[in-house]
Amino acid sequence: MFGFSYIKSTLTYTKGPAMPHREKLAWMTLLLIAVTYGPYFVHVVLSPPTPGLLPNLPQLWLLALAAGGNGVLHILGRIALRVGAPEDARAPADERDHDIQRRSSMVAYYVMMVGMMVVGMVMPFTTSGWEIVNAGLLAIVLAEITQNGLAAWSYRRSAA
Amino acid sequence: MSDRVIVNQIRTLRFMAGEMSQAELGKRIGLTRQTVAAIEAGKYSPTLEAAFRIAEVFGKPLEEVFQWSRES
Repeated sequence: MFGFSYIKSTLTYTKGPAMPHREKLAWMTLLLIAVTYGPYFVHVVLSPPTPGLLPNLPQLWLLALAAGGNGVLHILGRIALRVGAPEDARAPADERDHDIQRRSSMVAYYVMMVGMMVVGMVMPFTTSGWEIVNAGLLAIVLAEITQNGLAAWSYRRSAA
Repeated sequence: MSDRVIVNQIRTLRFMAGEMSQAELGKRIGLTRQTVAAIEAGKYSPTLEAAFRIAEVFGKPLEEVFQWSRES
């Protein structure tokens, strides 16, 4: 009787657990980077800011649009995730979350360090102005992509 | 590399505890239900403290919940 009901219970258990809240946040961050900073950097590559034209308000406006849009969409996304699964959103981070966060942050830190060394210690001798600003922004965005990409990958790898 | 893997009896123990849900087990030991599911599936190895807490919930010694067995 025990064996039968256990097998029945196992067979009928088909619905896996939903994606962890922090994995959803990581995927959302990656998506928002793609839709906000992606077009910004494509624009920068296709039509680089005019050198010497400072402060270059059109470029500043584009940067503000990308950064502001990312921030606003991030807040809206967090609200949507919280409304969609309030219990998951309220749950404090557990040991697996901390472990994933620690590893992804460590790798992202090195990406940021290399980026900042290039921006702060190499580029000032070769270029100036918006190229340095955009390279700095790129280093931050790459570090964010590294952190959230590694977090999402780690959650997928250890998902049930 | 070790040819051994950590296996567990959490699914069986949950069933024997009145089909305790993963969420309920998680709540009692301070883990999310997704982490409990990952442990149960052998995809994530819990800390020693979490392992002891799981065993405590079911009233079993640690070695009855987790085993270090050879890969089949």
